[in-house]
Amino acid sequence: MLRYKSKTVSKLEKQVEEHIENMSDEQLFSFAEYDRDRSEKTAYSNYSYWKSTFRAFRKNKVAVALVWVVLGILLFTLIQPFLPGQYDPNYINNDTSGLQFRNIEPCSQFWFGTNSIGQDLWARIWAGTRNSMMIGICVAMIEALIGIVVGVLWGYVRKLDWFFTEIYNILDNIPNTIILILISYIMKPGVPTLIFAMCLTRWIQMARFIRNQVLIIRDREYNLASRCVGTPTQKIITRNLLPYLVSVIMLRMALTVPEAIGNEVFITYIGLGLPTNIPSLGRLIDDGRQLMMSASLRYQLIFPTIVVSIVTISFYIIGNAFSDAADPKNHIS
Amino acid sequence: MIQYLGKRMGRSLLTLVVIVTLVFILLRLMPIEGYFENYEKLTEEQIQVGLREMGLTDPMPVQILHFYQQLLHGDLGMSRRYRSNVAVVEILKKKIPISVRLGSLSILLSLCVGLPLGTWMAGHKGKWPDKLGTVFIVFIQAVPAVVYYLFIQLYGTTLLGVPLLFDEGNIRCWILPVFSMSLGNIAYYGMWLRRYMVDESTKDYVKLATAKGVPKSRIMRNHIFRNAFVPLVQYLPTSFLNTVIGSIYIESLYSIPGMGGLLVDVIKKNDNNMVQAIVLLYATVGVIGLLLGDILMTIVDPRISFGKKGGVR
Amino acid sequence: MKKNVLSLILCVAMAAGMLSGCGSTQSGSGSASSGEAMEYRELYSSEVATLNYLTTSTINEMIIPANVIDTLVETDANGNLVPSLATSWEQSDDGLTWTFHLREDAKWVDNTGKEVADVVAQDFVDAMKYILTPEYEAANAQNLFGVILNAEEYYMGATGVADENGKVWDPIDFAEVGVKAVDTYTLQYTLAKEVPYFLSSLVYILYMPANGELLEKTGANFATSAETMYYNGGYYLQEFTPQEKQVLVKNPLNWDAEHVYITKITRTYNAEADTLAPEMVKRGEVDYADIGSEILDDWLSTDETKNLVSKQRPATDYSYFYCFNFNPTFAEEYEPENWRLAVNNENFRQAMKAALNRVNPVAISEPNSPTDYIMNTITPYTFTVNADGKDFSDLDAFKDIKGKDSFDAAAAAAYKEKAMEELTAAGATFPVKALMKYNPSTTNWDKECAVVEQQVEEVLGTDFVDIIVEAGPSDSFLSQVRRSGDYAFMKCGWGADYADPETWTDPFYQAEGDMEGYKYAFLRNAIAENGASASTVQEYFNLVEKAKAITAEADKNARYDAFAEAEAYLIDHALTIPYGISISNYIAVRYNVFEGEYASCGIVPNKRYKFIKVQDAFVSMDTYDANRKAWENE
Repeated sequence: MLRYKSKTVSKLEKQVEEHIENMSDEQLFSFAEYDRDRSEKTAYSNYSYWKSTFRAFRKNKVAVALVWVVLGILLFTLIQPFLPGQYDPNYINNDTSGLQFRNIEPCSQFWFGTNSIGQDLWARIWAGTRNSMMIGICVAMIEALIGIVVGVLWGYVRKLDWFFTEIYNILDNIPNTIILILISYIMKPGVPTLIFAMCLTRWIQMARFIRNQVLIIRDREYNLASRCVGTPTQKIITRNLLPYLVSVIMLRMALTVPEAIGNEVFITYIGLGLPTNIPSLGRLIDDGRQLMMSASLRYQLIFPTIVVSIVTISFYIIGNAFSDAADPKNHIS
Repeated sequence: MIQYLGKRMGRSLLTLVVIVTLVFILLRLMPIEGYFENYEKLTEEQIQVGLREMGLTDPMPVQILHFYQQLLHGDLGMSRRYRSNVAVVEILKKKIPISVRLGSLSILLSLCVGLPLGTWMAGHKGKWPDKLGTVFIVFIQAVPAVVYYLFIQLYGTTLLGVPLLFDEGNIRCWILPVFSMSLGNIAYYGMWLRRYMVDESTKDYVKLATAKGVPKSRIMRNHIFRNAFVPLVQYLPTSFLNTVIGSIYIESLYSIPGMGGLLVDVIKKNDNNMVQAIVLLYATVGVIGLLLGDILMTIVDPRISFGKKGGVR
Repeated sequence: MKKNVLSLILCVAMAAGMLSGCGSTQSGSGSASSGEAMEYRELYSSEVATLNYLTTSTINEMIIPANVIDTLVETDANGNLVPSLATSWEQSDDGLTWTFHLREDAKWVDNTGKEVADVVAQDFVDAMKYILTPEYEAANAQNLFGVILNAEEYYMGATGVADENGKVWDPIDFAEVGVKAVDTYTLQYTLAKEVPYFLSSLVYILYMPANGELLEKTGANFATSAETMYYNGGYYLQEFTPQEKQVLVKNPLNWDAEHVYITKITRTYNAEADTLAPEMVKRGEVDYADIGSEILDDWLSTDETKNLVSKQRPATDYSYFYCFNFNPTFAEEYEPENWRLAVNNENFRQAMKAALNRVNPVAISEPNSPTDYIMNTITPYTFTVNADGKDFSDLDAFKDIKGKDSFDAAAAAAYKEKAMEELTAAGATFPVKALMKYNPSTTNWDKECAVVEQQVEEVLGTDFVDIIVEAGPSDSFLSQVRRSGDYAFMKCGWGADYADPETWTDPFYQAEGDMEGYKYAFLRNAIAENGASASTVQEYFNLVEKAKAITAEADKNARYDAFAEAEAYLIDHALTIPYGISISNYIAVRYNVFEGEYASCGIVPNKRYKFIKVQDAFVSMDTYDANRKAWENE
């Protein structure tokens, strides 16, 4: 293509040629030692899945802020009882005549007011948040653990499909309320009962969700390839499948916490909730709900609702942001 | 495929039997006080006579056998404590149509709103439509339903000028319950469709289509939407069932004589025949729904197959 | 796809718009005050399982029967027994035979108001036979035992099952049972023993008539729907759609139709009635609502609503008291053996009694005047009067009890000291764990327990007693907790079955060998175990037995004095702690609650709408007070 070669260029060419001719064979070729580290560098040299995930996550400022909010709330519920001037959430405050401080609107003494028997709502809300969050997180962890193990096996090991499908059919079709009510008959109403009752049927939902995802991904080409090469099932599951599922699992887990709180509201609503001496967001909301028609008492509903909303919103946005970040495809661009 | 479906149906029937038998046995573990309206004032003899009348003194296998014999004759028995001596079928016959109508309307509404919402949000990921949609979804998810249902009822009725309670004849009375019931589903469909569509939009085939110059709207509609819709399709039948069962709040708020709170009611009242009938009904719908969901999924996504031999492994 | 969806939305929106456009314009038109059509609307949140008044015993299921079935006698607004279906009656000299002469113009109508038959004496006989037929499982059948001659013998013979003593009864003919139609309009009851309160018990559902032909035809299906029953009362049931609606329409063929003013009663089912009814009252969509204590202050302080609130008529047919359980069966972790020692120590019980300030828990439901609902006796004040017209609670035996509040912190401390000394010697450990259970489905009970726990522990100190509040099952509370003794210290209640002080000994007195669970406190256990309180309990039982033996009408004063003495002994020795009567709820209502029939027992008259007129405005507190004064002075 070049029609014109300048003099300097042809001069340079000549010099290079001469230089090479003067070199010995050893100088020209040498055997490279096999180096594991360097050989890895060829592909995505410095790619680490989790590092990239966190880097992508940190870019979402709102989500990061909300992580601090959730951590802050969690921390505060834990230290709140030890702060000075706090009431016991179950303590009934009486006035000088010995009668209860009933339905006191928020004031300097009772920051969030009192309920109909004079218990301090500020203390009850934080104690309730502590209990409800704990229930939610426990349920999410148990659900994820059992759900992932069962779901991956279910989706990947074809021989197990009918077995789990049958279990699913049975578990999923016994209405939740029957199980909840039966458990409340057998066990004492309390936090472990609630966690147990919710996990008893929830894990199968998670498992089925994972199974469906696996079913979709399982027959993708890269998995076919792995299988052809003879990669063991276990390795395919942990290397090829799970990272892909992380985004969905995280979203589901993040949503389980608020859902568990919602469930608790429902269970309280049908009259099987926690006893009053264990404050919970569900109990507070159900109590407040009954006062909704009276405008001046709505503070009893609004405060717990705000807490529930903040917790839910935080988990929702964090979950979504994290699942975006955890998707390997979003790492390259 | 047909052979597979046949087998699948057979198994579904078996599942039903297992569920109903399981619930049947579980119900017999309940305390016997529940069988009587005023146990406290009954004599031991009355209790014994009562239990014998109900066939509860027979050994368990005999009871189960009796139950299935009756069932094969299409007899679901009589309600005892929910409405004493009224055939279960009679009670359900009146309640099912109302719930089905409400449930279908609400699912229809949520699909009509939820799917475009999800698509719209995914199409404008990170821009204001996405943010607006997220605010809505977050709100619905965040505020407990019991709270906003009441608000809708309180202010909605004033706004529409309708009575607080439901009146089947007055069509304007249907608006608020149906609307309230679909809110949760709208958020659900919107959220998951957006999620799946966003996930799909980074796929290679999308890049290929973009490179080929296919317009973005067509990619969204023909490529991404169809693929993203697959996991949701399967949920459809179940979501209908959940809507009907979950309408307990709405039905109690508006005095709608549907199925919503029925199960909770009859379990609390130890009305075994009613519980069994409702469980049988729900389980049947559930099993059919599951089957339907799987079939729908294979139809929408040809890559998924259930046949033993055909298709990729 | 998007376009399709959009068009679909548009369609739905348009349809909705159209529908809303052509919706009917009818709205709650309010109850008319003119004489012709007087309507009354209310919500109810608990549906009845049956309309069958012959088999039910729940108060809720008596509301409809009370209004659609008339009884032999009824009460007026002041609780006096007056003729109803019976125009006159006489008692034989031995007091065992009662003869009733029925009015001849009473009719049975069906659910369209059409006349179907006359009300005759045989209808009462057939109804009683139905109740005494075991297969119909009448919940009240045993209330006839020992009252109506041979009722128990007939019932037990018909069951064919051995009773708890293993005895199988021989079947007898129904003709031997003490109820007989002498002629078409003459009814005769023969009693097993002299029953001083027989006439007052006739207002109860047990003595309601039913058309024999219909009973024969429907059997167990009697009164399962509006169509399967006949009506002879002030109203007939026009429509009964469970969990939807109950419509009662005035029965013009009723013998006393001129005193039935409300022409139509519409009751609409709503599970959230507690929340919605007050709002509907504001909008004028219903004529009645309970105003819960939570919203009460708000209602009373808002101009719009403060004149809508009044109260229910005070009820004197139910009494609450705190029981000490002498038969602790609860789990080891709550130390039942320790409790057994404690409960048998009188000073321990006295300490608890003196420490309990009842004002605090009552104030939860009735913040404004809690003391109105606290009682120092088990028998409610104004429940019944002796032959001289003196109220039972004013009898001499109660003169140190009635006027004195049992709460006394100083006395409690003194009792505590003595109890600690004695109990330590007996080998008890402190604090004594006192398991207190509540039914989560009973409004405010959980809150009351929390209040009581804190209040009593503050007075007595947690070194002495540790009250442990726990939720019981909501659905089988009575059998799982109260009947089985799974509590230590708990609020219990009892409703009067008849207008005689004997009814208030039923929860406590146990005959020998009678270990029935509805004797709440299991007092007989103290004797059986020969604990420290055995002699105290025995003395109480002796007093009750002595009182029960006095049956003749002429000895009424002696009988009442004897019962008063027994009850005073029960309270003095702190075998139980009197608490109070049911709290009359705050309500919003459009009629004068003092207009209706009133009875201190028997439930039915209190539920009738007869004599009641719906007014234009809701009753205000001032009007209520005036009405109440007028009623009390009558």
